[in-house]
Amino acid sequence: MVGPLPMEEETYLELYLDQRAAQDDLTQPRSPLPSSIVPFDVFMPNSSTPETAFSSLLEEVEEASGDFSSVDLSFLSDELTQENKDPAVARSKHEIEESCKTPSQPLPSEQDAGPDLNSRLSNSHSHLHPGDADSVQPSLEKSTFLPLASITPMTPMTSVSECSGTVPQLQNVVSTANLACKLDLKKIALQARNAEYNPKRFAAVIMRIREPRTTALIFSSGKIVCTGARSEEQSRLAARKFARVIQKLGFPARFLDFKIQNLVGSCDVRFPIRLEGLVLTHQQFCSYEPELFPGLIYRMVNPRVVLLIFVSGKVVLTGLFSRSVFAPELHYDNPLVWILLRYKCALILLVSII
Amino acid sequence: MNNTAASPMSAAASSSGRSVGKSISFASELQIMMFSLGDARRPLHETAVLIEDVVHTQLINLLQQAAEVSRLRGARVISDEDLLFLMRKDKKKLRRLLKYMFFRDYKSKIVKGIDEDDLLEDKLSGSSNTNKRQKTAQDFLNSIDQTGELLAMFEDDEIDEVKQERMERAERQTRIMDSAQYAEFCESRQLSFYKKASKFRDWLDCSSMEIKPSVVAMEILAYLAYETVAQLVDLALLVRQDMVTKAGDPFSHAISATFIQYHNSAESPAACGVEAHSDAIQPCHIREAVRRYGHKIGPLSPFTSAYRRNGMAFLAC
Repeated sequence: MVGPLPMEEETYLELYLDQRAAQDDLTQPRSPLPSSIVPFDVFMPNSSTPETAFSSLLEEVEEASGDFSSVDLSFLSDELTQENKDPAVARSKHEIEESCKTPSQPLPSEQDAGPDLNSRLSNSHSHLHPGDADSVQPSLEKSTFLPLASITPMTPMTSVSECSGTVPQLQNVVSTANLACKLDLKKIALQARNAEYNPKRFAAVIMRIREPRTTALIFSSGKIVCTGARSEEQSRLAARKFARVIQKLGFPARFLDFKIQNLVGSCDVRFPIRLEGLVLTHQQFCSYEPELFPGLIYRMVNPRVVLLIFVSGKVVLTGLFSRSVFAPELHYDNPLVWILLRYKCALILLVSII
Repeated sequence: MNNTAASPMSAAASSSGRSVGKSISFASELQIMMFSLGDARRPLHETAVLIEDVVHTQLINLLQQAAEVSRLRGARVISDEDLLFLMRKDKKKLRRLLKYMFFRDYKSKIVKGIDEDDLLEDKLSGSSNTNKRQKTAQDFLNSIDQTGELLAMFEDDEIDEVKQERMERAERQTRIMDSAQYAEFCESRQLSFYKKASKFRDWLDCSSMEIKPSVVAMEILAYLAYETVAQLVDLALLVRQDMVTKAGDPFSHAISATFIQYHNSAESPAACGVEAHSDAIQPCHIREAVRRYGHKIGPLSPFTSAYRRNGMAFLAC
């Protein structure tokens, strides 16, 4: 471990799990996974060895399946915030110890899932290396959970490209802004391209632009709602473009109070999830009514996010992720913004996979 | 509907006699639903037919009572409020229904937020229907609540034991499944009367009624139908469990005595045992479950529950 530790919890967990791993006599090679392993870190030049070992491990783990319902990780509460990490970690560390003792019972699947649990946890946490000196910590979390390994589009590492798709990708960003002037919707609809206006149906103009590919609802009060962008920056850019269009039509439009209202992302953990197990262990957060909706709705408290979890392993996340919750140096656009989120997400799912 | 505790057989017979021309049958859907609720992998067709009869009869009765409530109110359609009114006596079931309605609202809110097209459509339609069901339910219960009990239900966060048990049963059932079986199980769980709304509507055959149910009322009826099936399966599983005499159970001889006393010989556990070559729920289990549910016991039983005057206790409310 080298460098500053922006997230101390991972240190504890990792140390702790190192001990457990040693005790459990794991055969998985953990040494090839040194703290510098950041196959996903754009800034860190990487040797290919640890990374191929890592990716092969990844595949192996991805194939391993097991019934972890007996391992109760529900103690990992959502109050594990940045601020009170340390006491939380001490507590969870203890509980991981207890839970790690259990998975040796015979499991219905052929693969041995028991030690895999430990290895998974330990491997996943070994990646929680805070060690990386860069304050941009893509590595940190990329692989809090192996199947959730990620790549940023800029990484040249191709051997882990098969893991793409498991990183939460932002699908939609909804934002609002105030143009601070009254608008004549009819005039806008007549003069602007790509604008629809049907006053009988709805009292706003629907305008679309191609780059970034977004749609805006423009109200006569001067407020606009912008949807369809793939990142917060794009949303802001798009909103500015809409404001620009309005300006060019002759209105004294300004660009005030830009605010992100909602973020929607999706990812795929690539293993089937047994929702019945999840709903039982995390009752206070889950709602699952398969007659109404095939996905389980998980209301995470911290960070405040709603996850729609499907049997296939696809997860849709929605909510407002304020960046202040995470380390502020993190790159805006990067899935890193989902660090803690994915960490919890992964641990929750760990409970219930088939 | 005679008043002797329930021979559901006679009720079933009369309902099937009435509807001998009925071509709509939910038996196959019911079989899928029973599997998702805890029955064996291939539930018996006879059991499904029996359950269909029971559910149908109960729903028709419920509708008629709701129509009467509506008429008293002077309304032209049966609304969800009438159904809520009928359910006011049973807090737990009412709370489950409310939670279901809120979940519906919540889910549409979230799904709208996610799907961009939905979001636009929602804005276009004026977005006045967020939490619509919750609001109407709350307002209505507010108006009929005299002791404050009903409103307390909204804040109440007690665990619903029945639901808990169902969840646990599902969890046990799925734990031993492999991926393919589990995928099938999930699909079967997604089936509901609501998905087959038009067939459901025809099956209920409201055309002879003066006051028809509204759209939200139909949703609730679909939910109540599903709840009835779920209750029946829960009870039947209990009955089946009872019927198995466990070794070392000191009351085993007493249990069989009880059965013999209330059953005629055709329905004795021995006969059921002979039929049971699978571990699916048998029609005899269902009949026994309904019988026990409708059985009035206790000193005040002749005076309880106004809606038992038809001789059949509603499973869903």
